[in-house]
Amino acid sequence: MISVMIAAIGNIGRAAMLGTSSLRGTLAFAVRVFLNFFDRRTYNSASLMVFIHQLYFTSVQILPLFLFVAVIFGFLINGMAFNAVKNMDYLGRLLMGFVVTELSPFITVLLIALRSSSAINTEIAVMKVNREMSTLNSFRIDLIHYLFIPRILNGVFSMVLLTSLFALVVLSTGLLVSSLVFGTSVDTYVDTLLRSTDVLDIVILLIKCATFGFFITLIPIRIGLSASEELTSIPISVLNGMVKVFVAIVTIEVLSSIIRFI
Amino acid sequence: MQRIEFKVGLFIAITSLLIMASIGYVAYKKGVFSKVHTYTLSSKSGDNLTEGMPVAVWGFTIGRVSALELNDQGIVLIRIKIPDRHNRMIRANSKFVIDKPLIGSPRIIVQTNNLNALPLSPEMVPELTESNDINEIIKRARPIVDKADRIMANIEHITASLSDPAGDVNRILRNAETLTARFSKKDSLLAMAVGDPESVKSIHEAINKLRDITVKVDGILKRVDGMAGKTDEEIYGQDGILPQLRNILRDLLGKLAKIDVTFDNINKVSYEAADSAKDLKGLRNALDETVKSIGNLADEIDRKIPFKARPEIKLP
Repeated sequence: MISVMIAAIGNIGRAAMLGTSSLRGTLAFAVRVFLNFFDRRTYNSASLMVFIHQLYFTSVQILPLFLFVAVIFGFLINGMAFNAVKNMDYLGRLLMGFVVTELSPFITVLLIALRSSSAINTEIAVMKVNREMSTLNSFRIDLIHYLFIPRILNGVFSMVLLTSLFALVVLSTGLLVSSLVFGTSVDTYVDTLLRSTDVLDIVILLIKCATFGFFITLIPIRIGLSASEELTSIPISVLNGMVKVFVAIVTIEVLSSIIRFI
Repeated sequence: MQRIEFKVGLFIAITSLLIMASIGYVAYKKGVFSKVHTYTLSSKSGDNLTEGMPVAVWGFTIGRVSALELNDQGIVLIRIKIPDRHNRMIRANSKFVIDKPLIGSPRIIVQTNNLNALPLSPEMVPELTESNDINEIIKRARPIVDKADRIMANIEHITASLSDPAGDVNRILRNAETLTARFSKKDSLLAMAVGDPESVKSIHEAINKLRDITVKVDGILKRVDGMAGKTDEEIYGQDGILPQLRNILRDLLGKLAKIDVTFDNINKVSYEAADSAKDLKGLRNALDETVKSIGNLADEIDRKIPFKARPEIKLP
């Protein structure tokens, strides 16, 4: 009887280990990459060049579309908020507590994940299939320093910068909507926002953005590395990577909300 | 390559500048860079006190509770931080009250009557008093609760009456049931109302009699109408009384006009007669004077010529 129970508990443990092996692998990879952030050898001219290119593809190229989306969202959200909420205090809390700290990073992370994460996942999987990784290794080029960290740093920087830009654009359109459509003075609007702003919320927002950026680039890299040497493994790798990126986004969102409301 | 570098550099520079400016503005407005004054308050209880609790004056938050401590004497020490720009509100005579609204989180209210009083010394430890708002609300709510109690008692009474088979409501319902039952029997409305067939018969007989009386009265009225018509002819007809009367009156008016002239003449004559009477009076007076003169003359003659049968001569 006891031996059966021990076997059952063993089975549960084995299932849990198998189920979380991917998570554990990702976390171990994340720790490895994170530790390399503090390695001086990471920051060389080649890495910097890769970083600049990645930032260009991720943030600068997307900028016109991103600003357009931000303006549209700004008018929509502010129009609805001003129409629905007549109390300025609640309006301030809605804009700062929901639009700035929740909606801005969420839309930004979705845009970057759809555009850059999938590209990074595909790129790494293709490099793996083409055995470029082996070639780089044979030239003793550190993959983490040269390939991964510039992409992950790009994710962190892009997320922080684009989220802040999105929030600023939405708040600026809010200023336009409030003064032109609803006749609220600029001072009243700014004062309302200031009263609803908590410095701690901004700090949490920036940390959340950095975490988003870290994981939405790290997960595609790791999943891309897991591709086999067959071409058919590339789409499978991208599919798995994007699902895991989505799970990571939801997990980080929930965790940040829990930290905020504790 | 240089173009990409320039674009990326420009993006990072502008976005970072915007972020830094925004955060700096918020931090400045929130008083992060301004001097902060710390004061200590004391309280016998730490209930409802939390770190970060707002300190407000006239509804505006001017500071926050930064720390809570319990000292050796069992007194709770509350440290509040007030930015320099709001420090004017904290005076030596300021009172600190913890406000516990029914809805919403508690806060410390600063009551300062005289803003020109001396500033509160950081070494002083004013006591934090408790607002009795909740007790006052309970006191005010008591009459309302009593009233609600009475209303509930009335509702209870009504429901009891509803449930009581001999109650008013049930009686009304029974009556309504009887009435609807009568309606369903298709009797006349009168029979349904009075409920007694004999009474209905009597009422019908009375109505029939009333109809006969009405017919008779109609006949009388017709006759009266005929008589009235004849009378009208006699009075207003061509040879009726009224036209004749009108002719008589017209004739009378003509005659009266003539009499009026005659009266005027009579008046005139009477005036003249009055004047003649005045003349006659004067004539009479003259005659009276003349007769009197003749009398006097006769006396004189009589005295001078005695006409008596035996005149007497008086001797000296």
